[in-house]
Amino acid sequence: MSWLLILLPLLGSMVIIVSPGRLAKQLALVTSLVVLGVSVAAAVVFDGWGRGTWELTSSVEWVKEWGLVLQVGADSVSLILVLLTTFLMPLAILGSFNAIQSRTKEYYGWLLGLQAAMTGVFLAQDLVLFYVCFEFTLVPMFFIIAIWGSKNRAHASVKFLIYTFTGSLITLAGFLTLAWSYAQANGGVWSFEIAALTNHAASALSLHEQAWLLLALLIGFGVKVPLFPVHTWLPLAHTEAPTAGSVLLAGILLKLGTYGLYRFVLPMCPEAVVEWAPIVAILSIIGILYAALVCWVQTDVKKLVAYSSVSHLGFCVLGLFALNPMGVEGSILYMINHGLSTGALFFLIGMMYERYHTRDMGELGGLARTMPIWATFMVFFVLSSIGLPGLNGFVSEFLCLIAAFTAGGSGAYPGVLGPWYAAIAALGMVLAAMYLLIMVGKVVFGPTKATLRHDEQSGLPVDLTVREITVLVPLAVGCIVLGIQPDLVIDNTATAVADTLAVYQGIFEESMPGAAAFVETALPGGAR
Amino acid sequence: MIDVTLQLARIIQAMPPVPASEVVTDTGQWWIGFILWCPLISLVLCGLCAACRVKSKLPAWITVFSLAISFVLTLLLASMDSPPERVELFKWINVHWDGGSFVANFAFYIDSLTILWMSFVTGLGALIALYASEYMEPDVGRGYSRFFAGISVFLFAMICLVMGDNLLMLYLGWEGVGFASYWLIGYYYQKPQAVAAAKKAFIVNRIGDLGLALAIYLIWSTFGTIQYNELISVLDAGTYSPVYENWSVQAIPYLLMLAAFGKSAQLPLYVWLPDAMEGPTPVSALIHAATMVTAGVYLVARMYPFFLLAPESLHVVAWVGGLTALLAATIGMAQYDIKRIFAYSTISQLGYMFLGLGVLTTYGAAYHVFTHAFFKAVLFLTCGAIMHGFAGQLDLRKISGLRRMKGWRIVSWTMFIGCLCLAGFPLTSGYFSKDAILAEAFVSHGPGFEVLGWIAIFTAFLTAYYTFRVWCRVCAGEVRYEPGDEHHGDDHDAETHGREFHPHAPRFAINIVLLLIAAGALLAAVPYFMGNEVEHATGGWVADMVNDSTAATGVPGHPEHPGTAAHGAEAHHGSILGMDPHVAMYSISACVGGLGLLLAFWLHLWRRQDADRLRSWLLSRFWTRWLPVAMENKWYVDEIYHAFIRAPLWLFGHIFYAIDRYIIDGLLVDGTARLPRLLARCFQPLQNGMLQSYAVTMAGGAVLIALLMLLMLQFFTGGSVS
Repeated sequence: MSWLLILLPLLGSMVIIVSPGRLAKQLALVTSLVVLGVSVAAAVVFDGWGRGTWELTSSVEWVKEWGLVLQVGADSVSLILVLLTTFLMPLAILGSFNAIQSRTKEYYGWLLGLQAAMTGVFLAQDLVLFYVCFEFTLVPMFFIIAIWGSKNRAHASVKFLIYTFTGSLITLAGFLTLAWSYAQANGGVWSFEIAALTNHAASALSLHEQAWLLLALLIGFGVKVPLFPVHTWLPLAHTEAPTAGSVLLAGILLKLGTYGLYRFVLPMCPEAVVEWAPIVAILSIIGILYAALVCWVQTDVKKLVAYSSVSHLGFCVLGLFALNPMGVEGSILYMINHGLSTGALFFLIGMMYERYHTRDMGELGGLARTMPIWATFMVFFVLSSIGLPGLNGFVSEFLCLIAAFTAGGSGAYPGVLGPWYAAIAALGMVLAAMYLLIMVGKVVFGPTKATLRHDEQSGLPVDLTVREITVLVPLAVGCIVLGIQPDLVIDNTATAVADTLAVYQGIFEESMPGAAAFVETALPGGAR
Repeated sequence: MIDVTLQLARIIQAMPPVPASEVVTDTGQWWIGFILWCPLISLVLCGLCAACRVKSKLPAWITVFSLAISFVLTLLLASMDSPPERVELFKWINVHWDGGSFVANFAFYIDSLTILWMSFVTGLGALIALYASEYMEPDVGRGYSRFFAGISVFLFAMICLVMGDNLLMLYLGWEGVGFASYWLIGYYYQKPQAVAAAKKAFIVNRIGDLGLALAIYLIWSTFGTIQYNELISVLDAGTYSPVYENWSVQAIPYLLMLAAFGKSAQLPLYVWLPDAMEGPTPVSALIHAATMVTAGVYLVARMYPFFLLAPESLHVVAWVGGLTALLAATIGMAQYDIKRIFAYSTISQLGYMFLGLGVLTTYGAAYHVFTHAFFKAVLFLTCGAIMHGFAGQLDLRKISGLRRMKGWRIVSWTMFIGCLCLAGFPLTSGYFSKDAILAEAFVSHGPGFEVLGWIAIFTAFLTAYYTFRVWCRVCAGEVRYEPGDEHHGDDHDAETHGREFHPHAPRFAINIVLLLIAAGALLAAVPYFMGNEVEHATGGWVADMVNDSTAATGVPGHPEHPGTAAHGAEAHHGSILGMDPHVAMYSISACVGGLGLLLAFWLHLWRRQDADRLRSWLLSRFWTRWLPVAMENKWYVDEIYHAFIRAPLWLFGHIFYAIDRYIIDGLLVDGTARLPRLLARCFQPLQNGMLQSYAVTMAGGAVLIALLMLLMLQFFTGGSVS
């Protein structure tokens, strides 16, 4: 079943390339819906909900002597992210129906190829498959930006490719060193199985070696997340990509980074993580505030939302490095929620752009009067992104922050962060309300600009079409459901998260930072 | 197939076993949930109306009806007179792990404080929705559904806030009412001022919300729970250990305070409330006068035990309240827009409530909330009627003699009642509730509380003055009016253009609501005389309601709180001019109120030219000029915030963006990317195609490599030896 999830989209993309171009979008939609169906079926037969086990596993031997065995499987966290992927894909395809008019065959082919790679990343159980898929996501995205992007697409796509590729090469170096060290320890028997390598790394590597491994992994995944200060590829790529490209970038591709942090960094180098978590947390807090302030002065709506991703993902990383169950659960929820609400915002901006051919806040205004349905959705998803309680964004943000806050107290809540981290990061909540509401005030409300002309050539009515509403409604439903029933995710992943964090309990018990010592070190910027 | 169903059930069902909560959930009381669901149903139906473009008053009737049901259910709940209880609705956020859990569910915590608040929230909500059904008439078929959906959202959030059984549910309501307020202030979304005001309200409130969020984190890390009943029992047992020994318990009240001051528009976060008057007037009456802005008072009352853990925090509350009351009253005196005057008066009265909380009379604060809800709602609703009839005219210099005009009698006299209550005229409801607070300022001991008491008395004088300034200008005097220029989003143009303007007097829905709420404002004095359950206690029904709740838990030696060392030694009891404050205050506040009232009648009814003369006299003197100028310009607080907070942040935004583009991206990233090309450029001259130079380079290279190898060899051997 896992192979099916990876290969079906690939098959679909082959079929699209050989079939006539006018059928491309329908074929792509059908394929993605079938994959969605398969993933739902997988979720139903999946036995790992609420347990930490790996299910749906299967392996193919490739070169056994070198340890090259391709293995797939899913635990609850992976499967939830796979579901997010398969859920967003049909919407991304449906959302491109009108926007993409040239070279449709290639476009949908690449999109499905991208889906295969992304699913592969989440389902991979060995490093070879993981890394291949991780890198292969770059190729379709590169072409999607370079061919169907807007004005500055050439620069954006090259920068995206080289930047993230450089980052992941360093990660590859880290992985290879780890595998080599494993082979050394096991009498020359190579293996790339993630579970085995994780065990080896966590138990056999010295603190020094773990720190280097952490650095190598952090560079690759940090670029992907993106963590301050390696985020500059993102605003460019997001802004220049076509709508579906931006949606998938924000929705899934960034999550590859946080998933990597969760899957590899946390379990592989626990001691180094405990040592370095304050630094990573400070970087993510800088990212939160810095990107939020940068958002404030943007004039391009799409760029604003792009920078807001940098700010939001800061919360996600902060939650992960709080190293307690609330934070990691919050972080997993954040991955999904950010995919839903920021994805939807990119859809909405795309829909607006197709009608008015501008994203400049100075030129837009008063769209609530002309496009009431669009405006309703826009306000809704902005609220979700701001973190209004009752909608999805709130739960994850709250959990990440409370986790960072309590991590480091004496007694029941060990950790290496503390109240100051959360208090400063929480300023991001206020700033998020500021920049997003200012944007809404300029674009959605206010007097309708006389200069704003709806483009009749676009073939779209003034307000949203049924197709566009169909794209947005599932996302909105997702926002509400996860807002009032976050237990759907939390309970089902609880054990998996607890297993991942089990190693930290031992470390904290050994070296519990006392409350007094903690207060000294947890002052802002005081991570030694 | 069964297997599949089971699997699905398992996905949907919560997996880890939830420890059974010891609180009994009475399944016989499922109907209590409908207090909350009614506004939600109304929201959904109004949304459907908007989607179907309903062109009738249907959304209004849906809203009024469902809110009325909520009100009736609340009364039913109140009549049951049961001890504090929890009602679980459904699970929300539950994280369990080894040795701990974080639990926040959708559940109600119902004690008398809840019921006190709910009674006026739902009651006034239903009445004001009825009023709005006529007021918003011009928008039928356009924003009408949107408006009533907003009202439903507000009621839903407010009920969550008041009835929630844990701090996270309170937070949900807290942000929810903020959002509803954003929605409704920005109702006229084509007006830039309305959009700006809505944004400002939300953002300033977010600063307060930040305080609440941090307080929740801190409370959870210290006490391990955020449910009220569990918190109270942990506090009672004293079994908590502060995680951050030095400051955790001390910091909680200050964080809660930040939240309360944001929502209840106190210094330094009050600036959003006057601007919020851009919203339709029923919204101002319901949200920005009667209910939402009292949420801060509710929060402090609900969390009162935490304030008692750090008693100095209450001094801060008292001083902030007192100073806000004074500041807002001075601004209110000098405004000309009647809605803004009442907005500043709301801030000022909220200041009184916080003063009451700070001087240990939660009863006084709660009673003032209760009476204020009625009389301020009346005042705003009469403003709304005037706006509605005079095409948005709100300048008190341009309308006069309303009570002599046909069809405006009910408006003028209900306004008169509201003004009497607000001014604290003897035997009105405002008189009793304000006195309870003023007297306690002299009874309690704290830094400078006596000065604070006199400030509050002076403010009472100002209140009486500015209140009757409005009434004398607008309702009394000769008949004279000018229509306003805005038509609050409707098309009165047909009426006004080309011929003379005719004000249209309010009709049935507005008048009946005005009468009912005015009657409520008068009757709000009755609870004061109702018998107390406990002997020797004063304050009547409201005091009982407060004393039975968390708001009175652990208040030491408090006069309204029999049972604890009641009143203690008389020596601890402060005095005012050598008299017992409780007794003396009846006459002092009556005198002060009367003086203010007389001053208003003199300057604004009997000899109106004196007011102008006074103003020009003040303006002509260099030493006094600043006073009217600063008051009319609201002490320049908005400008100060703009210069010291918004502008620097905005600048930082630009600086950071420049850094991002030119330093991080331009210099570091693109610079690194250019390195290979630069490197290549350095070596380019070597590829010059001349054989001799290639030979030289080769030889040089060989030497270089040899040298390097030698060096490395030395380095490695040296390294191994040492």
